[in-house]
This record gives sequence, structure tokens and C-alpha cells, in this order.
Amino acid sequence: MNDQPANQANEGQDDAVERSLYAKREKIYAREVHGIYARLRVLAVLVLLGAYYGVPWLTWDGRQAVLLDLPNRQFQLFGITFWPQDFFYLAALLIIAALSLFFFTALAGRLWCGYACPQTVWTEVFMWIERKIEGDRPKQMKLDKMPLSARKFAIKGGKHAAWILFSLYTGFTFVGYFTPIHDLAARVVTLELGPWETFWILFYSFATYGNAGWMREQVCIYMCPYARFQSAMFDKDTLIISYDDDRGEPRGGRKRSVNPAEVGLGDCIDCSLCVQVCPTGIDIRDGLQFECIGCAACVDVCDEVMDKMGYPKGLVRYTTEHSVHAEKTHVLRPRVFVYATLLSVLVGALVVSIAGRVPLEVDVIRDRLALYKETNEGLIENTYNVKVVNKDQIPHRYRLSASGLEGLELINTMGEFAVESGRVLEVPVRLRIDPVNIDRASSKVAFEVVALDNPDIVHVEPARFLGPVLR
Amino acid sequence: MENGDPTIPLIQRVVAVLWPSFLTAGLATIIVFTIYDPQIVFSCVGGPEINRLGAYTIGFFFFWAINALACAMSMYFCKPCSRVSGSVS
Repeated sequence: MNDQPANQANEGQDDAVERSLYAKREKIYAREVHGIYARLRVLAVLVLLGAYYGVPWLTWDGRQAVLLDLPNRQFQLFGITFWPQDFFYLAALLIIAALSLFFFTALAGRLWCGYACPQTVWTEVFMWIERKIEGDRPKQMKLDKMPLSARKFAIKGGKHAAWILFSLYTGFTFVGYFTPIHDLAARVVTLELGPWETFWILFYSFATYGNAGWMREQVCIYMCPYARFQSAMFDKDTLIISYDDDRGEPRGGRKRSVNPAEVGLGDCIDCSLCVQVCPTGIDIRDGLQFECIGCAACVDVCDEVMDKMGYPKGLVRYTTEHSVHAEKTHVLRPRVFVYATLLSVLVGALVVSIAGRVPLEVDVIRDRLALYKETNEGLIENTYNVKVVNKDQIPHRYRLSASGLEGLELINTMGEFAVESGRVLEVPVRLRIDPVNIDRASSKVAFEVVALDNPDIVHVEPARFLGPVLR
Repeated sequence: MENGDPTIPLIQRVVAVLWPSFLTAGLATIIVFTIYDPQIVFSCVGGPEINRLGAYTIGFFFFWAINALACAMSMYFCKPCSRVSGSVS
């Protein structure tokens, strides 16, 4: 207690150690960085966020181009309507997404984390807002050390207000993917939002604000499953960010005019800028760490320093473990081929099947009560329920026919029938045949349903015709 | 609570329960409600009249709660057995 200066220093340190969700952590003040990779990331942010905020407003054939219409249980994607029966496509898409991640990870390391992950992208915007309002890194640190004053309160309040506004718009856009966004916007203005829409806008806004404003690198370190298992896809030929130990060490400060070789120093001037710019607060010079999200901020800043010192760039650089150890890097290697082959087969299959997708589904269900019936005339009769699903965006009239056996007669009391878009119609029918035309207990037949206005919309569904064995 | 590794802070254990269950609840919502219409499921169990977005929402939080329960039980069973008997004696 009598050692006043030491006590003050302690308090200062305690202030800097922020009580975070996981543990006491040092708040990370990432310094702004300029350079080629920073520009690439800004480009990625603009493209990805532009797509996120813009896509719901696109229209296609007079409808919202991308609408995951949960209230009507259908997905609209650029003029194609997907129904729950099309779950296969969604599953295929998810598998393709996972495989792409494997493929790009094997090839280029954590490219996803550094440039495309929503966590990175939104954090980048939140940090930009923070810099605009609080100033650069030294100003932010100074502000946090200041006692609470009207000015500090105004600055902090302004930052959080800006964050919250941006988050609310993000939440609104998110809900706009699930309910028509034009209508949603109108109802926001007139304050007529439904309770569930309001809930999801607030929930998603809160998640954005919390993740990009407060959690930041902790999401990557503690919550991201990919961060933990991505090392399984790494090998010695994967692109990583690495510090060149051999060239940099021993590190140490020196004047620009001093030739490092003469004083026994490596190229690293120990300016610690690579640590200051790191969004996860690690020191890349300690080697490859799972916290590294591959954002290349340290590469940009170190290149700048090397330029100023008149040393060659690339003390910290994108490289591979093989290349660091002066061995040959193999870009094309078995695991890359395996991922690439699987990926192209799946993408090809998906494209072919969506291109050839007929917006009509037919299910034939046999009457369970009787195997077959004999009519008074001695004919054999089977009863079926034909379920016709119109997966198109417009209603159609359809014609049903049956084939597969000589002399097969279809008794359809409904005749030609209409099915509304997205609806299912059950058509009860009977098939009748003279028993001399069947030679086995179970014969193959087929029902064909065709749209009257478009012969390309046709579906042939196989079925079984049961009867007595006469021969 | 002496569950699990005492070196892991409580708050991290809370997130270890809530976060994986959130992810799997999202997955369960997609798969289950693609097969079954949540609105019909709710009317089958005699729930009050609710629109579909509400049914999806309640379903999602239901899955989240159930999955969180499983995660919490995993965490509980991670407690070493020796310590359980030790606390009895």
C-alpha cells in the first residue's frame, strides 16, 4: 500500500486485462494495416457483404430471386422452386460446401478464415467503424485508459450506437432471406412486424453485435470447430504464413545504417508490429499456431518495415513448410487430386440433375386392402392411388396414362386434372386387364403423367400389377 | 460444480454446452423440418394455433434445449468416477 507507483501500475494492468467471456484476456487492439493482402481482404469484404445485403433485393421473373420461404415451405432460387421433396439438392450442396473447404484448406491453408469467413468479414467492418469513431490503435488504448468522462462516454456510446444500427440492418437482411424483403421493409416502416420476425431480427442483430463487436478472435479460438480440425487437412505443402527463422534470427533493434551481419543480427528488427496488427494477438515468430487465421496482416506490415529498412521483403510470408526448409513444394499431390476429383464429380452431378430437373413428382401407392380383384366379367383389377406433386411455379393440367401390358385399361374417373403450384393431388385409379394377357403373379407396369401445356414436364413412375397365375 | 477439468473456466464450460448444441440444433431443424412440417407437428401435439415461422422458431429452440441437455450430461459424465466415490466417503 505504501508503494504508490507500483500499485497504480497494477491497476493499469488490471484495466487492460478485460474480463471476457472465457477467461481474463488481454484486449487486443489490432493496428490498422495497409498492403496487398489488406486490400484483398477489403475487396473480399465488399464483394461478400455486398452480396449478403444486396441479394435479397434482387428480383427474378417478378419474384424475389433468393427467398428461403419458410412460411410456404419452398425455396426460390433464381426462378427455380425447391420443395421439401428436393432435400437431396440441399444435402448435396452441403456436402459440396464441406468438400470445397477441405480442398481449399489442403491447397491454400486458412484462406477461408482470413478472407471469407463471416466472422472475419463482419469483424473487419466493426473494426473499421471503431477506428472511424475512436481513432487508431494508440488513441483506442489511450481512450480505454482514461477515466470515464463525458467525452469518453460520448465516443464509446457513439461506437456502440453505430455497431447496433449496423447489426440491426444485418438482422433485418437475414430475416429478408426468409420472408419477402420488400414487404418486410414496408412493415418495418409502419411498425407492423410479426412477433417472430421481430424476434429473429433482434436475435440475429444481437449475435452480430456480440460476435463482431465483443467476441472477435475468441470465436475463432474457442468456438470455431474448423479451427480445431483444419490441421488434419494440413500437410507440409499447404500454404501457411510463416516467419523465416533462419533469416530473421537473432532479432534485435538496430539503426538503418548498420549492416546487421556486422553486428551479428538477423533481419528481424524486433519492432513487434507483426504482433500489434495480429487480430488474434499471437506472435507469428513463435511458429505455426492454431490461433493464426491466416489473415496475412503480419505479412503486409513486415513487408512495409523491410522496405523501410532496405531489406528484401518476405521475412514473414505465405509459404509452405517444405519451402521454409528449402525443400520442393508439391502443389499437385494425392490429397489435392482426391478432393478435386470428388468435388468435380459432385458439382457435375448436381448441375446435371438440376438442369434436367422436371418440376413434377409422381408417387404410386397400391391399394393395401386387396392384392387384386376379379370383376364380374372375369377381368383382373388393381387399385392405386397416384400422387401428383406440381413442383412448378404455375398451375398445370395433367393427363395420366398407363402402359406395360398388352390390353391394359386405365379407369380414371377424374379424367384430366389440374394441380395448383406446390400442391399434391391424389388420383384414385384402377388398372384392368384380361387375365390371358398376364403370365406372372406380379407384372411391371408404368404410369405416365404429362402436363398438357408442356410435354417436357413428364414423369414415368413404375408400379406392380398383381394377378392370379394361370399358366 | 466440480465437473470436468477444473483448469477450464466455468464460462468456457457453459459455452461448451451451449455452442455445440446451437450448431446441431440448426442442423436438426433443417433436416427434421424438411421432412415434417413443423406446423402440422405442433397441431398434432395439441399446441395452440401458431404460424409457421413461429413453429420453426419454437422447434429450433426445442432442439437447442434438448441438445444442450445432452452436452451438459456429457460434461457431467466427464467428471472422474474416483472423485464421485471420494465425495461420498
